[in-house]
Amino acid sequence: MTPVFKLHNIIKRYGQREVLNIGELSIPGQKIYAILGPNGSGKTTLMRIMALLTKNDTGTVRVLNEDINWGKEQLLKLRRQMTMVTQTSFMFEGTVYANIAYGLKVRRKSDKNIRPIIEKSLELVGMSAFASADARNLSGGERQKAAIARALALEPRVLFLDEPTANIDPQSAVEIERYIQFINREFGTTIILVTHNLFQARRLADEVLFLWDGKMVEKGTGKDLFENAKDQRTRSFLCGETVF
Amino acid sequence: MEIIIQGIKEGLLLVFSMDQQIMKVTILSLQVSLSALLIAACLGIPAGAALALKDMPGRRLLLNIVYTFMGLPPVLAGLIVYLALTTRGPLGQYQLLFTPIAMICAQVLLALPIVCGLTARTVMAQRQEVYDTAVTLGASRRQAAWAIIRESRMGIIAALTTALGRLVAEVGAVMLVGGNIQDSTRVLTTSIVLETRMGNDSRAIGIGIILLLIAFAIIVLINILEKRSFKNDAGIQIT
Repeated sequence: MTPVFKLHNIIKRYGQREVLNIGELSIPGQKIYAILGPNGSGKTTLMRIMALLTKNDTGTVRVLNEDINWGKEQLLKLRRQMTMVTQTSFMFEGTVYANIAYGLKVRRKSDKNIRPIIEKSLELVGMSAFASADARNLSGGERQKAAIARALALEPRVLFLDEPTANIDPQSAVEIERYIQFINREFGTTIILVTHNLFQARRLADEVLFLWDGKMVEKGTGKDLFENAKDQRTRSFLCGETVF
Repeated sequence: MEIIIQGIKEGLLLVFSMDQQIMKVTILSLQVSLSALLIAACLGIPAGAALALKDMPGRRLLLNIVYTFMGLPPVLAGLIVYLALTTRGPLGQYQLLFTPIAMICAQVLLALPIVCGLTARTVMAQRQEVYDTAVTLGASRRQAAWAIIRESRMGIIAALTTALGRLVAEVGAVMLVGGNIQDSTRVLTTSIVLETRMGNDSRAIGIGIILLLIAFAIIVLINILEKRSFKNDAGIQIT
């Protein structure tokens, strides 16, 4: 299978500080791919480069079979095949319905065509009753579900999830994990999950990449990484989490 | 103190008597200030947003110039327009001096930096996540920029309110380029100056009350518009 993302010699610096240094990385499509690592290990920077939100300083990025030249048209075309849910998803001023409609409207879909898509997306995450609720007055869990519905409505080929359950209660987290698995299985969406929640990565991920200090330390299937981690840093990170 | 009380009484009488002369002056005041605000909004909001969002050479310098012009003295604005419109000026041939158009030009010069500067500030205050959310949902750069402007609308309304407050109360520029000509360029503020000079203190206070009522009505209108835009926003609750 052709990889969805292919990164070669990627370096990203903020000022003098090098935050990411990745030699070679290929991410296969239609899987749940977790990026693990402690705070400041470069997980979010890596995800932002793949999501075409942050430019790499050196190296090449290939996304959905295209070498990235950061041209306006290419960015728009590729970004429209991907979307993102972050840990405190930003909601535009307005209703939940209007927020979900946003991505469809910028694609110039008509109001008539938008309505059934939104209704279906809301139904999939059990949020049908919230269509006309103010998006900024939702609880943490509801907000994340609305964000997932907003992503679902766009039928993306790639869904980036940056700590999607970091600020919500365990019950809602379980629900959201269920939706993540559902989206991956039902629609074949490639899911890039950035997390430092080991248990979540273990439950969801087909493949896992472990980052440490901006560098790729280890990668493999979830089972490999969690049961037979080769690198000392991975093992200590895994142990630390287990202790806590 | 007696003069003030007498003035307030006369002022209220003026308001309720619907004096023809005062009505004319009031309507012209509103026409001039609202036209100037509209033009300043049409030019200043896009310019402010562009200054905030576009990474271009000299942007910081341009912003500093705009911020400096936010404090432009009205008389100086009037002088600039006067020099441009006077018969020897570059636009002298159009014979606009001492017309309401000249007054609108002077007021645009005053309002534009306020609208532009405050719009730039409020747009710059938006967080990166607004842009990121828009583009990750498939917005083009232009659509994402529009989303940021939409999210900044509370601040933009505040910018317009501030500008309008300055325009309605402004006297120096309109006096210089309008000339305070009866039935032609006389507005509320220049009427106050005239009546005071003529010793009609109570009438001047009366016109002042009308000016205040107009300002109050505009603020109420803006508040209604704000509430319509942010009907579910409870604001900050301090307990």
